[in-house]
Amino acid sequence: MHASVSNKPSFCHALLYCCLVWLLPALSYADTFGVEVKNAEIATQGNSYVLSADMDYRLSARAKEALQNGVPLYWDIHIKTLQHRGYLWDKTLVNISVRYRIQYHALLNMYRVRNEGSRELYNFSTLSAALDSMSTLRNFRVLDKALYESGERYAVGIKVTLDRDALPLPLRPIAYTNPQWYLSSDWTLWPLTK
Amino acid sequence: MVFIQRLDIMAFDKIKPPISLSILVLFGLILLLLQLMSSATQESSELSAMYSWLLLVNALGSVVLLGLVGANIYSLARQLKKREAGSRLTTRMVSLFVVLALAPAAIVFYFSMQFLHQGIDSWFNVEIDRAMEDALELSQASLDQRMRWHLRQTQQLTAKLVESSETLATLEMENLRELSGASEMTLFSRQGRIIASSSINPGDILPSLPDEHTWLQLRQNAEYVALAPVREDELMIRVIVTVKGKEPQYLQALYPVPVRIADLADSVEFAFVRYQEMHFLRHSLKLSFSLALSLVLLMSLLAAIWVAFISIRNIVAPVKALVKGTQAVASGHYDQELPVMAQDDLGFLVESFNEMTHRIARASDETRMAGIEVENQRAYLETILANLTAGVISFDAEHKIRTANQAAYRIFHIHVNQFVGRTLLELVQNYAELAEPLKSIQRLLEQADDIWQQRIAFLGSNGRQELLCRGTPLFSQEGLRVGAVVVFDDVTDLIQAQKNAAWGEVARRLAHEIKNPLTPIQLSAERLQHKLADKLTAVDAEMLQRSTTTIVQQVEAMKEMVDDFSEYAKPSKKQTVDIDLPALVQEVLALYALKSGVKFKADYDTGLLVIKGDPVSIRQVLHNLIKNALEAIDAKGLIEISLHRVQKNNTDFIEIALYDDGPGIKDEQIEQIFEPYVTTKVKGTGLGLAIVKKIIEEHGGAIWVDTSRKVGAGFIIQLPACNF
Repeated sequence: MHASVSNKPSFCHALLYCCLVWLLPALSYADTFGVEVKNAEIATQGNSYVLSADMDYRLSARAKEALQNGVPLYWDIHIKTLQHRGYLWDKTLVNISVRYRIQYHALLNMYRVRNEGSRELYNFSTLSAALDSMSTLRNFRVLDKALYESGERYAVGIKVTLDRDALPLPLRPIAYTNPQWYLSSDWTLWPLTK
Repeated sequence: MVFIQRLDIMAFDKIKPPISLSILVLFGLILLLLQLMSSATQESSELSAMYSWLLLVNALGSVVLLGLVGANIYSLARQLKKREAGSRLTTRMVSLFVVLALAPAAIVFYFSMQFLHQGIDSWFNVEIDRAMEDALELSQASLDQRMRWHLRQTQQLTAKLVESSETLATLEMENLRELSGASEMTLFSRQGRIIASSSINPGDILPSLPDEHTWLQLRQNAEYVALAPVREDELMIRVIVTVKGKEPQYLQALYPVPVRIADLADSVEFAFVRYQEMHFLRHSLKLSFSLALSLVLLMSLLAAIWVAFISIRNIVAPVKALVKGTQAVASGHYDQELPVMAQDDLGFLVESFNEMTHRIARASDETRMAGIEVENQRAYLETILANLTAGVISFDAEHKIRTANQAAYRIFHIHVNQFVGRTLLELVQNYAELAEPLKSIQRLLEQADDIWQQRIAFLGSNGRQELLCRGTPLFSQEGLRVGAVVVFDDVTDLIQAQKNAAWGEVARRLAHEIKNPLTPIQLSAERLQHKLADKLTAVDAEMLQRSTTTIVQQVEAMKEMVDDFSEYAKPSKKQTVDIDLPALVQEVLALYALKSGVKFKADYDTGLLVIKGDPVSIRQVLHNLIKNALEAIDAKGLIEISLHRVQKNNTDFIEIALYDDGPGIKDEQIEQIFEPYVTTKVKGTGLGLAIVKKIIEEHGGAIWVDTSRKVGAGFIIQLPACNF
């Protein structure tokens, strides 16, 4: 069920190509940093479809340096459920995002991850442990079974973005121009079938 | 057309908002954007989230402004290339403005950047770096010490739990917790099962459990101590120690860090993190501020330059219009009406220009009208001059002929082409017969300083001519001699008429004063003879007879003479009829045909040769002339008479030429030959030719001696022909 089918409107393609052309020099780094959605699985749980996914956060040197100097990084995990419509753009049924903040605490020499929605706090003595804590998404409800109409095509998408607008002000212009700060993943879509 | 254009401009102005308003709005917008951006740079500002957008909008604004300025520069460059009016002035003003605006802006920008960089750098230095790190270390050391103390304390507590049963431990737990001052105390089994637990907060049923990481550390070191942030701003010291026994157990105690210490540590940490962050962001900060500053400068400068372009174009527009207008006026289009855009100095200038063009147009119209008027006057004068009987010649300063009227050509018989542009002396070379009058006039021209008048007589191709010349030298306003005007009348006829009139008067008087006493004299003489003839002796009677006869004869002669005179004096043209000249000539010649020794030769043109006149008078003319010729040739020789039709001054004349082969007429006599009592003959009254001339002139004709004839004498008569 977790076939990795990329099904995007052509506009997004065009935009992506534009971005690619613009970021050609950064392509060599493309593998070394950025967020990647690795595994995703849609299952049924009760009367809902639930999504479980693993993400891999690989920070660039600049991002690591900023984090270690006390700059908090905000990450948004966007999840959406789409209903395909042949004649129009896709209808968004569900659009949820989960926001995490990761920050280094010098006093405790710890990385603190906070779920901005639930205000839950986690402390980690290593960066990888802190990043790992944000990288698993388990049994996230994406659609009620009741809403599923047979004959229609549905898709579930996931995307992880670094909120560059939440960076300290002086860093923002750089974050928008330096490829080292292009850490967000693309939308990854999976078809939702019964 | 001009009016319509102005209407268009006015209509356009109504639709278009005033340029100043647009500029104000634009500047307001730019200021707002810049202000927003500046506010957004404050971390706490709500606009902070919009910073990137503001930056983008401002950058786009700059690009748009750059485009506008670029377009303006391009258009100006094109205008410069085309050498359009006002483009150089615009370029100069724009360059001046840009230099004036750029120089202080660049200086301010440079120093602002300097201050900015130095200001940011001055926040950080080694001492503060170390102090910050030391403060953090101090906090950590303080917390460390506290942790170690709590560790020791907890280890001491374990002694009481060694080998105690689970039930006992449960009972003991409350005591131990209270004793140690911990907020929570829990005893775990090795597998993590909770054996006993006590909390300061009775509501907490489930104790705080150590996570996997803590377990790992615990298994490695047999004890664990660490600071645990329970909530955002609350610190706990988590201590886990091993309770030695058969079955090793773990005792976990959570000690609250005193609020004061926690606050201080928090404060130090906050300051340290902040400092650390700022230190890290130092370059970004500089870059960011420099970017904002550059953007502000760029935008203000571009906006200023653009506005400068617009305002300079507005300022130059009237100048441009003036230049174009001036060029148009220079090329002769005076109907220039420029729109008055503003009521300032330039507007005043434009108004003055309009007034000037109006005046020039009016003046030019007036000049043209005056020119036409002058031309009309000249044509009028020329017509008058042309139709004057008097000849008029104007001369320039070198005595060259400038103008001459028709009468002048007529009098001198010189063709127009050969007249103008030449001096009189030059004419003399070509017209030898006019040498005398021309030289006289030339001499008078050269000598006279004032109006002069002179009568000049000469022998022209038409016989003797007499001119009455009147010269007026012309002076310029400076008193220099610029030429002269000579007016001359052919007074030949007039003088002749005067002479004739004088002779007519003489004849009339003679008739009156002399003829009247003649009859009494004659009668008295006859009476004397009649009365005395018988009383005297034969000798005396014969003498008386002779004397009386002489008196009577002489009186008769006198009477005849007086009759001749009265004949001369009285008008001869009594009745006018059409006279067929060949017939008349033939008739007259027939009377002389019997004369032996004289040969007559007549030559007539074919066609009608008819004049209007008194046949008796014309016959007398022929008689007189033939008689004159017969006397000249002494009744032996050849007399030629010819009749021709000639044209002179568009009028048909019949020319009667009569030649003899006699001794001819002496040159000195030619001039006076037609005057009474001028004769070369021993007998005759000397009135013959005078009467001829009188009759001919009374018939509107002319008679002159043909001087070109070298043998004998020749008379040419021209009488107006009768046209049917």
